[in-house]
Amino acid sequence: MANRWGYPNLGFGIGLRTKHYDHILATRPPVDWFEILSENYMDTGGRPLQVLDRIAAMYPVVLHGVSMSVGSADPIDFEYLRKLKALGKRINARWISDHLCWTGVAGLNVHDLLPMPYTDEALRHTVDRARVIQDVLERPIALENPSTYMEFRTSTWTECEFLAELARRADCGILLDVNNVYVSAFNHGFDPVAYIDTIPMDRVVQIHLAGHTNKGTHILDTHNDHVVDPVWDLYRHVIVRMGGVSTLLEWDADIPDFDVVHAEALKARHLIEDLGRIESAEPEYASLA
Amino acid sequence: MPDPGLEQTQRWLQAFILAPEVDDQAAEAGRLVLPSLTLTALERAGVYRDMYLSRLVEALESDYPSLLHYLGQEAFHDLAARYLELHPSRSYTLNRLGDSLPEFIGKLEDLPKREFLQDLARLELALTEVFDEEESPVLTQEAIAAVPPEAWQTAHLQPIAAFRLRSFRYPVSAYLGAVDEENAFPLIRRKNTCVVAYRRQFQVQRLDLQPPAYELLTALASGSPVGEAVEKSHVREKDLFEWFREWTAEGLFQSVSGWN
Repeated sequence: MANRWGYPNLGFGIGLRTKHYDHILATRPPVDWFEILSENYMDTGGRPLQVLDRIAAMYPVVLHGVSMSVGSADPIDFEYLRKLKALGKRINARWISDHLCWTGVAGLNVHDLLPMPYTDEALRHTVDRARVIQDVLERPIALENPSTYMEFRTSTWTECEFLAELARRADCGILLDVNNVYVSAFNHGFDPVAYIDTIPMDRVVQIHLAGHTNKGTHILDTHNDHVVDPVWDLYRHVIVRMGGVSTLLEWDADIPDFDVVHAEALKARHLIEDLGRIESAEPEYASLA
Repeated sequence: MPDPGLEQTQRWLQAFILAPEVDDQAAEAGRLVLPSLTLTALERAGVYRDMYLSRLVEALESDYPSLLHYLGQEAFHDLAARYLELHPSRSYTLNRLGDSLPEFIGKLEDLPKREFLQDLARLELALTEVFDEEESPVLTQEAIAAVPPEAWQTAHLQPIAAFRLRSFRYPVSAYLGAVDEENAFPLIRRKNTCVVAYRRQFQVQRLDLQPPAYELLTALASGSPVGEAVEKSHVREKDLFEWFREWTAEGLFQSVSGWN
């Protein structure tokens, strides 16, 4: 199933991390695409940007941010958006994504993906902001379901319903993080399959996969390990529902060698091949190699 | 319970995350946050508080590795927590979170070795600034050769953007070298030292300077013509040519102007 904006299926990518710069530049590994953390490249003229320029000349790149703060009660940071837009143009970013969350209020920034109260007021507010952000960026954005560790008593929507309605009203895309669905389902006791079945698949632009840390009482979204089997099961469920879709493996802490991360990402390809769905994946990299 | 609204809800959670733990927060957390089967409302909100401090302290650790080395994990964490209470982030980027740390350290009268630590932090801050600066063109040998010898008196040399001159009361560059390159640790006692931090081919570098070299570079960087800068800094001719060769080879300047 193609998404409604025609954003391409890039295949199986990994998050670009400093530790792997030299390996990628030296060996040009056959990765389909890279996702970068936007903020790591927005306020520097140094090596990160130089490396990014070289990698963007070789691979499709997608911008993934953590500071858009689409749900914040504060005014929109237009200077941030200006820089984000310029970076996207510089590297021909295939799309731009961030999270359904807020990162600070009253002029402060906590640098975390903080949970929203899922209320009518919050929905209207977030829809309005998402529309403005898309107008400024001049492209539809994709918003990711975050991992959350608490729920507000005032919420009148479930998270998946809120996200689906937000995407519909703001006409934006969804970055479906399957690991986050699993983490939040564990933390809040909801059914992860029902969550996924609520998401409008024609708005899903991209999938995230990652590892996490189970603390017993709750799960932390740490991106520091292999993807666990129940998350692969959920990914399989998504693919059965929607077919091939750009899939990205995140590994941000205790980062192993590049080949280990890449092999983990390629498990997604093998899973899709086993399902006979690979026909819908047409990685841009294939034509560049 | 009545809905306090989006803004008040966000202000409450942010204040909870930023504030030190106090006794009376359980009731307020319980009014706004649902418990889970395994965690109380306070514990669930506390997950965010714990992650906040560890994330921001980690960002400061990566900017100030030598300061961390000297203080050790626990003392650095305490220092960073005190700093963040007064200087919470107001930016979408963590890149410049630690910009006020040297100044903050300078005001901590109870901190042993305060002046040394402030100098060390000033040097590490200069290195992070150089890391993120815009890339500049570098003055070429051809451009240098084009300047007639008699024209250097009035010529101006413009440093690259990724260029910071710093003077210190302690041998902090030697300390940083001991941490980074496993050189011998210097004695931590007063000794005036000077450093230029810069970036060459996207790698952050630093060069220890003798006082006249520091004076000369300071004058050049402030826009003095070469002749005037040389005169001000009382540089010996032999040193002048040697330093100039080294500085241009290291790419410290981006252009020469004002001679034609």
